[in-house]
Amino acid sequence: MPTRSARPKAPTTDYKAIAAEWAKAKRLKEADDAAKQPQPSRTKDDVQHTALEARRKTAFERRCSWSVGFWIWMLLVHVVGILLFTSGFLLTRLVLDERSDCANPPSEPLLEWDGKGTIDGGCWHPKTFNKAVVVLIDALRYDFTVPVAEDQAEVYHNALPFLYESSVQSPNNAFLRPFIADPPTTTLQRLKGLTTGTLPTFIDMGSNFAGTAIEEDNLLIQLRDQGKRIVHLGDDTWTALFPDYFQPNISRAYDSFNVWDLHTVDNGVLDHIFPLVKPGRTGEWDVLIGHLLGVDHAGHRYGPNHPAMTAKLEQMDQFIRNLTKEIDDETLLIVMGDHGMDGKGDHGGESEDEVEAALWMYSKKPVFGRTRSEFVTPPATAKVRPVNQIDLVPTLALLLGIPIPYNNLGGPIEEAFAGPKGSAWDHLAAAFSVTAAGIKRYQASYFKARGIEQGAKPGSPVSLWNEAQGLVEKDAKSQPWESLYNAYVAYQNETLRVCKDLWARFDVPKMVLGICIMAFGVIVLLLYVSKDEDEDFAVLDDVELDFAEKSLELQGATPGPDIPSYKTLSKSLVKAAMVGGVLTAVAGGAAVFFSGSEEWLLVAAGSAIGSMVAVTGALHQAGGKSISNLLPTTFWGWLSVTFTLSQSIGFASNSYTIWEDSISLFFLSTFGFTSAIAALRLPNIAERTLAVYHSILFILLGRVASFSKLCRDEQMPYCTSTYYASANSSTSAPWQLVVPFAVALILPSIIKSYMRTSRSYEGLAPAWIGFVFRSVLLLVAAYWTIDAADNAEWLATLSETTLKTIHVSIAQLVLALVLVAGTTAFVWAPPCVSILTTSSNNRTAQITVLGYGNTNGARYLFLPVNIAGACILLSKPMGQGAIAIMLWQILSLAEITDLNRLTAETIGPVVLALLGNYHFFKTGHQAVLATIQWDSAFIPLTTIRYPWSPMVMVLNTFAGQILACVAVPLLVLWKTSPRRKGVLESTGQALGTLVAFYAVQSLATMAWAGWLRRHLMLYRVFSPRFMTAAAVLLTVDLVGIAVTLLGVRTNVLAISEVFGFAD
Amino acid sequence: MSSPSPPTPAGKASTSTSPSTTKAKDAAGEVQPVGTLQSSQAHTLRFAHPALLASLFLARFGSLVADPVAEMQAALPIVWVLQAAYAVVCLPAAGSQGAAARKPKARPGEKRRPGAADGAGPNISVTTLVASVLSVISAVALHVALVLFGAPFLTHLPHTFLCALHLALLGLFPLFYTRGVASAEWLEIMGARAPFDEAFGGMVGACVGAWVGAVPIPLDWDREWQKWPVTILCGIYAGYLVGKLVGGTVAFGKRFGGSS
Repeated sequence: MPTRSARPKAPTTDYKAIAAEWAKAKRLKEADDAAKQPQPSRTKDDVQHTALEARRKTAFERRCSWSVGFWIWMLLVHVVGILLFTSGFLLTRLVLDERSDCANPPSEPLLEWDGKGTIDGGCWHPKTFNKAVVVLIDALRYDFTVPVAEDQAEVYHNALPFLYESSVQSPNNAFLRPFIADPPTTTLQRLKGLTTGTLPTFIDMGSNFAGTAIEEDNLLIQLRDQGKRIVHLGDDTWTALFPDYFQPNISRAYDSFNVWDLHTVDNGVLDHIFPLVKPGRTGEWDVLIGHLLGVDHAGHRYGPNHPAMTAKLEQMDQFIRNLTKEIDDETLLIVMGDHGMDGKGDHGGESEDEVEAALWMYSKKPVFGRTRSEFVTPPATAKVRPVNQIDLVPTLALLLGIPIPYNNLGGPIEEAFAGPKGSAWDHLAAAFSVTAAGIKRYQASYFKARGIEQGAKPGSPVSLWNEAQGLVEKDAKSQPWESLYNAYVAYQNETLRVCKDLWARFDVPKMVLGICIMAFGVIVLLLYVSKDEDEDFAVLDDVELDFAEKSLELQGATPGPDIPSYKTLSKSLVKAAMVGGVLTAVAGGAAVFFSGSEEWLLVAAGSAIGSMVAVTGALHQAGGKSISNLLPTTFWGWLSVTFTLSQSIGFASNSYTIWEDSISLFFLSTFGFTSAIAALRLPNIAERTLAVYHSILFILLGRVASFSKLCRDEQMPYCTSTYYASANSSTSAPWQLVVPFAVALILPSIIKSYMRTSRSYEGLAPAWIGFVFRSVLLLVAAYWTIDAADNAEWLATLSETTLKTIHVSIAQLVLALVLVAGTTAFVWAPPCVSILTTSSNNRTAQITVLGYGNTNGARYLFLPVNIAGACILLSKPMGQGAIAIMLWQILSLAEITDLNRLTAETIGPVVLALLGNYHFFKTGHQAVLATIQWDSAFIPLTTIRYPWSPMVMVLNTFAGQILACVAVPLLVLWKTSPRRKGVLESTGQALGTLVAFYAVQSLATMAWAGWLRRHLMLYRVFSPRFMTAAAVLLTVDLVGIAVTLLGVRTNVLAISEVFGFAD
Repeated sequence: MSSPSPPTPAGKASTSTSPSTTKAKDAAGEVQPVGTLQSSQAHTLRFAHPALLASLFLARFGSLVADPVAEMQAALPIVWVLQAAYAVVCLPAAGSQGAAARKPKARPGEKRRPGAADGAGPNISVTTLVASVLSVISAVALHVALVLFGAPFLTHLPHTFLCALHLALLGLFPLFYTRGVASAEWLEIMGARAPFDEAFGGMVGACVGAWVGAVPIPLDWDREWQKWPVTILCGIYAGYLVGKLVGGTVAFGKRFGGSS
């Protein structure tokens, strides 16, 4: 008896049943084979048996469809809940359509000049320049441009000295100041800020991948309306934001998302900009915009601390030097960064390194000045005398003589209007006066459009404005220019502060509604997964009963009236959801339609609630489940509740959110130790030893994985990153290449050893695990070796393009093997069993099925293994080790749950979910936007392609949770035989537990982010954690439907093909 | 199953704990709780011991926060003496219960003497010594366990080890003293199946306390006492004292998970 039979143990009968089943299956097969030959008399039994199998098969497929239906409904509920909350939580700002007009300044200018109110003389202020060249060096951080003492300098320091030198040497021709971005620091958001002069709102952030045209009044609209010709070179984000603005034949746009490519965009700009600034061709344009991406891409690809960054900055230095020689006297030259970069070269968040960019203006004629002599030296750090990025908008508009865009909130930059002597207070005050009047006009229309009253308390913008106006009217001829200027500055600053506050206004009712829907969804899900006492079909494996049932079904030919309730539960739930959902949707839809309000989201909310009420009723009626079922009854149930709830409560504290990676390890170790303790209670010595071994192994592996760390800023200085070569890098260290090779060497053998214990290393397993999967892992190792060689330029003889082609081909081959071939293999593979026929005498042949006891689990294992293969390719070497360890831990967990009899408990899926979260951190991620590994989109592709690139990103980012979700059935199916009943339903419950864990986290982070919406750490800690949790929940929902459930369906069909359906 | 009555005299508690001879077959329920001795000194020390430990801990808390390693090191001999005195005076030594149960030790008020005179009883000083050595050795295992829970791996070695040593002295020393190295009993203790008594309750309390002690560490309150391993040590001491009290009184003789 070589097989390990499923529990409860009934070796003899079980064995007989198998033998009988096999004999039957064999007979059937022989009958099929002999179909051509004269039909041997088929017994009535056989016909009936075939009919029964066919009926069971269709019944099973129908149950699968209903089950998928239920999960799609659950997904929709989650989507509605998250959408509702997000719509109230992510900040929104009303976009006004009004535009500024040259002839209608918001207030009468304080100065008189020739051509006042015309584009030739300057609309609202005397014009200074006719033309402008705007050079935008993406991610030009302020400290790249200022000198740093040699002993403290990193490789990226002192490589671009020209900006600083020129402002010190000729202060009347140039000035350099820190240029502070309003987060989010993504290029698209920054371009909006730099052209409209308004504050970004959170909601636009998602549109970075597909920029939409700006409708608001902005610098480019004003330039175009005043007949100025604009030429654009470089980053194609501009053409997405400003379609048809640019001179068609001389503008050149380049793809902006290929972060591997440091040179194409830059060389394009460099090649095309110099001919245009030559005297002969300056007549073809008025404003020339060049957007260079090399610095940004060097940061994304290598991190700032890399020779490639130095080279790039030196190239920029030379470029600007050359450009200053070429431009004429009438042209203003602006060089600026749109944002900075963090220690790893990424951006998007609001850390200091990300918001601190540099601004440098240059003119051949001496126009710039300083109001104080100490301002000549540019600030040593970005903390001193910074300007806001929106200040560029009025500055540029007034210098070029065009109107300031209507929505502008910035103020003119002092140096540009102070005059060469630094004492032109009249110009400064006049420039600020007209800007401030514009801001006031905008505020008035905004408040009117929103229907809000402005307060007039002392210190409020209104009172500051009145104070400034008071100064003006006192003496019309000799104005107190300097104090006037200061009064307007105070007004502008205060207005900006108020606006920042105002646009942090949340829609609390919608947020609460979203939270309620999520909470209700969690309760429904928990009811769904809760177990009745008599619902032990999972463990019920009684051969006698099964036989009786079968013969009954055979005789009766029609399905009996009392089908077990678990078979029909999904069906009745989906029906209830449909009825409840459609009814409320129709009622709500009608109400919205007739009242004319546009609140369709509320209809969705009503529909979600209606369907959930109906489903709760159905669960109570059909499943006999009530709230009292939710209370855990065992130690393990309480442990799952403890893990889930304590972490959810912890999300209220920024510390616990920041240190979530360590806390996950703590919980995982806790589970390992408790399971080891529980294992010591097992009566059987062999089982006890194995269970203790696997528990300890589970803990050890988790602790080993913890050495792969990517620290977030807030964890400093108590954390050391090991994920990349250094803290200032986004490439792996050469020694880390050991990891992929070690994974290729060890992982297949480990999987093999786990399959071996149940004698399941049969069928396709040796070929797939031992050969294909190992080859895949070796290919992955080859891929990352070439990648490292490319980054460190070990293979200088091969060109970048050749390397990239080899690269991408290997990656695509790997994905084709694990996903396409892997899925095919999973669908067609026979069970991992092997049949031995030994004949002791002539009359009875003994049939032994190797691997029978783990038929369900071993075959299903192919699926998680394949998914893990894809995730391993898409992660950096350290992450590959983490994913390999995770797969190993999953196998140990499956053994633990089997040995400790935990398959029917909730703790298995909860620990799996925790494990998924834990390895999210161990694959180089944190719950902050800056740790998204954008470069992974270019592992299997050279350009952005939909929908593949986002899918690759999701696989890279949520590898841990996806693998956990795919592995859920293993906890239920591991070491179960084909006789296991209710496979689909048990898996559904386990999946429900896993999803419930993520749904609770989503709900908790949502609730805390809403509650702490005025917290200082909202955008740094709570909001990103909520977004992570929501993304994880939706990903897991989708993967659960598309991979896990369908995988179980495929698995059951393939196994039942051979062994017959169990129920 | 033994009744949840208040601390039973050693005599009643054990009839079969001569470990080497026990039938290891149906281990569940085999191990009996160990009551404290009934001498007057035992009574006094039983109550004095937690008070002494608590006051020692509270008195030295300031310097513990200031320099954990030095303070943990300095306190070690004192804690050891306290534990040894408590064990010798209040608890029956391993192997003595059988003898004690039969007759001689049941006499109230009789002074506990080294069992050498009987020939059958254990040698108290040897038992104490062995228990101490075993505690030190098991501290290494506890150190590993702390690291597995996320304690620093390469840094803070003396911190972690001294913390493990304190845990071993409090939680494990009395167990080694009363249970010796009988594998059947230790299997039950490790499997959390053993009945509650002062020693087992103390160990469970100390472990749970250490676990809970990790909770305040991540908080960004920037307090001195959040440093490693002060909170863990607090948890260990508080948990030990509570666990010992509960195990010796209300929970005495009860087992985790009812009677299984």
